[in-house]
Amino acid sequence: MVRLKDRYLLVNIIYSDVPAGQQSKGASAGAVPDLLVYNQPTTGELRPQLLLKSIRAEVAALFGDCGAGAIDRSLQVKYLSTATSTFILRISRSHYRLVWAALSFMHHVPVRNGRPCIFRVVRVSGTIRKVEEEAVRRAKLLILAAKREMAGKSSGALDALLRGKDDARNLTMVVDPDDDSEPENGSAMNDG
Amino acid sequence: MDGRKKPTSSGAGASEARKRKEPPTVSGNNRNQAKDTHSTGRSLKRVKFQDARNIRTQPSDAALEDGRLDLQRFLNARQFEIKALESSIQKCKSVNATRVFQQVPRAMRRRTASHNVRRVPKRLRARARKEQIEDNTPTVEARKRRPRTTRARIRAETVKKLGILSAKKRTKQLEKKAAAQGSTPSSRVEGTIQATVQTRAPRPKIRRNTLNEPPSLKSKFKRRQINKTWLPTHLWHAKRAIMTEPTRPLWRFAIPCTPTEKCYRPTHRASGQKGAVVWDVSYMSTVGLYGSAQSLERVLKALGLTQEHLWSTRGQNWRAGLRKWTGLLSQQTKDTRRDIGPGTFIWNPEPPAGSVEETNPERPKKTQRQILIRTHPSCFLQLFNELVKVAKMQTPQVHVEDLRFEIGSIELTGPGSTETLLGVLQPYYNKPETEETHGRVFKSLAGVANPASLPTDALLSFSAKDPRLSYPPKRIAVTNGSNDLALLELLTKWPVGEGLKPFDIFSREGRYRASQLPRQKIINRRKGSNAPGEAIPVTAADPPIPVMLLASRPTTGGQAQGTWTLLAPWKCIPAIWYSLMHYPLSTGGNPRLGGLDEQRQVAFEHGAPWFPGDFPGTDAGSTWELEQRAKRKRDWDRRPKGKRVEWKSLDLGAGRRGEIGDGLACDFEYLFGLPRKDLAKASRANENSTTENPDAMDLDDIKDTEDGAPKEHASAPRSLTMVRQMSKTSFAALLTPSSVDKTPACSVITVNLSFIARGVANPCARIYRLPTAQASAVSPPSTETEVPSTEPPFKGPGSLPKHLRDQWLKLGTSNAGSLGGGKRAKPGPAPPRIPPRADLEVRKRLLAESILTTGPLPYPRPAANQTDVGGHPLCPNEEDLIGFVTTGAFSLSEGRGTAIGSISAEKALAALKMAGGGREGKFCIVRNAGENVGWLARWEAV
Repeated sequence: MVRLKDRYLLVNIIYSDVPAGQQSKGASAGAVPDLLVYNQPTTGELRPQLLLKSIRAEVAALFGDCGAGAIDRSLQVKYLSTATSTFILRISRSHYRLVWAALSFMHHVPVRNGRPCIFRVVRVSGTIRKVEEEAVRRAKLLILAAKREMAGKSSGALDALLRGKDDARNLTMVVDPDDDSEPENGSAMNDG
Repeated sequence: MDGRKKPTSSGAGASEARKRKEPPTVSGNNRNQAKDTHSTGRSLKRVKFQDARNIRTQPSDAALEDGRLDLQRFLNARQFEIKALESSIQKCKSVNATRVFQQVPRAMRRRTASHNVRRVPKRLRARARKEQIEDNTPTVEARKRRPRTTRARIRAETVKKLGILSAKKRTKQLEKKAAAQGSTPSSRVEGTIQATVQTRAPRPKIRRNTLNEPPSLKSKFKRRQINKTWLPTHLWHAKRAIMTEPTRPLWRFAIPCTPTEKCYRPTHRASGQKGAVVWDVSYMSTVGLYGSAQSLERVLKALGLTQEHLWSTRGQNWRAGLRKWTGLLSQQTKDTRRDIGPGTFIWNPEPPAGSVEETNPERPKKTQRQILIRTHPSCFLQLFNELVKVAKMQTPQVHVEDLRFEIGSIELTGPGSTETLLGVLQPYYNKPETEETHGRVFKSLAGVANPASLPTDALLSFSAKDPRLSYPPKRIAVTNGSNDLALLELLTKWPVGEGLKPFDIFSREGRYRASQLPRQKIINRRKGSNAPGEAIPVTAADPPIPVMLLASRPTTGGQAQGTWTLLAPWKCIPAIWYSLMHYPLSTGGNPRLGGLDEQRQVAFEHGAPWFPGDFPGTDAGSTWELEQRAKRKRDWDRRPKGKRVEWKSLDLGAGRRGEIGDGLACDFEYLFGLPRKDLAKASRANENSTTENPDAMDLDDIKDTEDGAPKEHASAPRSLTMVRQMSKTSFAALLTPSSVDKTPACSVITVNLSFIARGVANPCARIYRLPTAQASAVSPPSTETEVPSTEPPFKGPGSLPKHLRDQWLKLGTSNAGSLGGGKRAKPGPAPPRIPPRADLEVRKRLLAESILTTGPLPYPRPAANQTDVGGHPLCPNEEDLIGFVTTGAFSLSEGRGTAIGSISAEKALAALKMAGGGREGKFCIVRNAGENVGWLARWEAV
């Protein structure tokens, strides 16, 4: 029996600019907390097909026909939540680096007149379950950060985003005592 | 339907097209549905999986308040995501794609009939059933299957008829019973009279000097035991182990060969590191001897127990019945002694002096002594006949009784074996004063992790309680450090001599009483009335079971695990066995079941020879060897021609072709130049060709095996039985410079082989001594082969290199695993290395130089395997053949290949003498049958 080996990538779409409507309306543009600015929802026009197409195009541009062919069959969008700007990709284990590289080179939402953004791979895993657990953990972190924001304490939004070392650990202890797989560094686990 | 009308279209499009063309009718709809339900199994499942794997999402507006960023909306969106992901994890888990039979523990996993619900453990059965219904697995119940073949049909009809017959009989009996009850008491007079007469239950008869009958059986099982006898635990074993074939019993017993589960490595672990392995070895034969002490001594001496220490004060303990003695027995033939096989001797202690006088005050009877001999079934008949012969010659006479089906035995080994025995056997006594010394010693053995740590040849004999009374066995208390000192003291003092009485297991009465154990049904009833979890109290109905425990050390010595042997009455073995197999070891798990293969494996890992396989010099060993030959031949014949070794075309190098002797046998006939056939056939063969022609021999051998496997000892004694076993001590005696004895002809010694560097030997591998320097230089060609035209002229055909012995010795001294490169002569000096910083021009120049300076290649190229086999030294010639490997494999305990073999004593002696006592005298070369590469090994007599 041959087992197909896959990797699952958990990717966040991160924005740095305030949406156009909010800037024009509100005089106090600075009032929008950083937390919200970074984790804005993505436009509903972004469909999985569009996302796939743009990743394929980027891989083709970077790695040529060989790269495009390598990822063509196995690339799949398992989950795309535009409201939280999160998605999960599945890709064969031997080629996930191509996709990761392509994502790093994309800086617009792949729709017409897409806003500038970055695609941040936050977790690579062999099973979708672990990716989902990580997504849940991050969402919980963001909730805590948002609650703190509402209470008026302006904590560093970047901390929540980048999972500052000690802070994140404490938070996860509070939020999710079951989660014991806590990576030390803030970047994605690279277990390829 | 769709396909017929519109073959090109498919899927939804087709159904739509049809809908448009013909109006939906009721019948059409029905048909369509029926078709759908046909493929439900797969499609439903796929829908289910897709559904489970789908993760819900929100549109992006959900996170915005009128197109603006908002903290509350942000929070809600995250919360929704968390819920969606968690529910997805849950759903995926619930639609697990694994089937139940994939979760069965490794040892229980099987492929056969994995669709059968009843083949999975009970706790998983409900799930398995559900899964089967879900995906519509076709299941067949064997009982309800329609018979397909004529034979099966006839069989089914017979079964039906028999059922009707038995039902008729049953009703008739019931009617009879009813009539008897309804009738007047006068008609029952006969019955009442019979009831008043008290008769003793029949005891099995054991006649003197004749063979014992197998135990009488239930008629249900009688027909299956015409040619053989079942072990007392046969029904248990037959479900869990691969037994000997019904038509080919081993030593007239149905013996478990190996457990059905994979257990090679688990057995190695359980026997050496953790756990215990248990065997039912009730097939081992027991013989009783009784008579006066002097006569018995003479009989034993006739059997080869002539060692000085046995009959001097050193053997006092043995003769008193406190120790056992194990060794090889032999019998006197016309000119020399011939080995029979190993035997264990146990004396029954004499009754205390006081009690004898009390019982027989007026006539002080001559003291009768009793001896128990335990031996292997393959040499039982030979031993028994010899015993009867010798016993009849004695005055006063000694009597022999065959206790084969009277006493059964169980063997245990491994660190947990003592613990297991302690948990299962409980000494039986009514009052604390009557407690037996041996029982007390046994109880204080807790903490012994190796039976070999007991005094040499220790034995314990006491009465034990029926283990079923305290079933299931409970884990015994683990000893702590303070107990260790007491245990050490016990092991050094070993106070088993106090208050010694004759052992109960020697008395027929005691054995008989023990075999009247209450039935399981009664035990169950008593258990029902007992408090849960408590042992059932002993009553008068529970007889004590006389048991005897023998602790033996491995014959090779060292730190290896010893073995416990438990002797008990034949009928008590199942009761003990079930408890043994269910004992919860303190290290986890239960004792493991072992078969014959495991017994051989354990012996092999200890480096000890296994009887009869590794003793070709005995009658039993030669019979075993002949059987193995026939088996190998059968297997070889069954293989397709392209996939089996063609012995004649084996290239041994230096122009030698063909395997030496028979490749499927440990060919001792070839080694000693013995005739292959029975006398009549041999003489005919001599007429044809007196020289040893390998082809003719092969033909003979084929005929031999076609005649059928050797049946009994009567047909076995052929030339192979002229091979004689020589013990280690007598071989050592020959080695002393002062000895003037000649080595007896055709004698072999058993050796333990360990490889110096690499190599694994298989059974039948050939053992050579190191080539003798002069012999190899002038050796004539072994077989007539064409001189290859490419042969260098300076070398004679078939001659071995002059320095072959040195080549082999170098392997022994370098002690390196890799041999390949060193032996092969390099064509020239290595070219100079190109310096790392050299520019292209320099590189080119150097490269060209290196090509040009390479010396001329030999032309014509030397033929393969002339001076070496791929850089490996050649095997010696056949005059250096000294023996054969009887058991060989990769040894898990050594971490490399080891083997047990038999080598010619004469040739081994010559090799030792030539080496002048150096270590190279014990070097040998082992080459597997059918291979041309030999490996250097060292032999050690065992």
